[in-house]
Amino acid sequence: MSSKAPKGSDNVTRNLVIGMVALVVAVGAIFSVISNKENTSAALPSSVSQDDGYGIVFNGDLTGVPVVDIWEDFQCPVCARFEQTNGDYIEKLIEEKKAKVVFHTLSFLGPESSLAANAAACASDENKFLGFHRAFYQNLPAENSGAITTDYLVALGQGVGITSDKFKSCVANLDYKGWVNNVAASGGKANVNSTPTVFVNGKEIRRATSGTDLGDYFDPTAFAKAVEGK
Amino acid sequence: MKKAQPWIGLLARLILGGVLLVAGYLKVFTPDKSMMAVRAYEILPIWLANVMGIVLPWLEVGAGLLLIIGVGIRYAAIFGTGLMVLFIIAIGQAWARGLSIDCGCFGGGGTIDPSQTKYLEEILRDTGLALLGLYLLRYPLTKFALEKNKSHEQTPSQGE
Repeated sequence: MSSKAPKGSDNVTRNLVIGMVALVVAVGAIFSVISNKENTSAALPSSVSQDDGYGIVFNGDLTGVPVVDIWEDFQCPVCARFEQTNGDYIEKLIEEKKAKVVFHTLSFLGPESSLAANAAACASDENKFLGFHRAFYQNLPAENSGAITTDYLVALGQGVGITSDKFKSCVANLDYKGWVNNVAASGGKANVNSTPTVFVNGKEIRRATSGTDLGDYFDPTAFAKAVEGK
Repeated sequence: MKKAQPWIGLLARLILGGVLLVAGYLKVFTPDKSMMAVRAYEILPIWLANVMGIVLPWLEVGAGLLLIIGVGIRYAAIFGTGLMVLFIIAIGQAWARGLSIDCGCFGGGGTIDPSQTKYLEEILRDTGLALLGLYLLRYPLTKFALEKNKSHEQTPSQGE
């Protein structure tokens, strides 16, 4: 117990280590906070409205129709199931102008979600968002397996008829990276805690309460009822 | 027993510190997910939950590093124990209110299917970790700690 001699130098080491750890924590936390802030000068894809939480909007000019907000992550298998269940119906709502539909592409599952969301925004500029969206979920690769690359996304775009060089460079250069972050930030503000989350006129539709219950999400009849309010 | 104490302390430091470090590390690079995990507890106002979701993982990393290196052990142990108590309260209230969430302890988090909740395991694990923190608070003198200066680590019953 005779540690009196090196007391001074030990104190220096102690304070140095504590200081370094505190610095790492502070710099890391501050950097994270700043990079998660909404960036109002980010480039926005076509048909995106800041007022609609940076979502990609269909039928934004319609009034007196239900507003359907769909929060999803391209890598979320349950979102693929939701798309399989209700995709046709949602596209019909859009074509027949029966609802205003807003797609919010979150990216919390990993960097490959951001790549996919960016590519979907590029597809939106070509008026091919819905086709791209559908094709993506039909070919959903395993989560963060490295399968979602620029080449993969460009090929997927070609499959739905997007051939422009602009699309290629938009995907490759992550033109809408800032926008992807903004969508994520607005998801936080909207208190979206899982995907898919669907709001009809601002109110979340009924989520399943047990294993056998489908809720409004995975029962097409219940979903249509929730949207149309009948 | 007296001889084993510093070794038990070392083990406690490595386990509590290791868990904090890993848990923090798994979350610092996925802040969206981590913010979602905190929001899903439905305790804090959304803006505060989002701030916590970003800051908490970094604090876990910091406390974990201090425990593993063996510097400021008592402060890190107090922080770790306090954090575990908060987690236990948060998970307990989610359970009692019938929320279906993942604790988001090691990444992940958010609303999940009711059949996938693991509240009891999560609470037991955090209780164990809190006890390790309490042990370090009581016996902060441990093997292979960088900090040898006992004056910082005096326990109330140092004379034993």
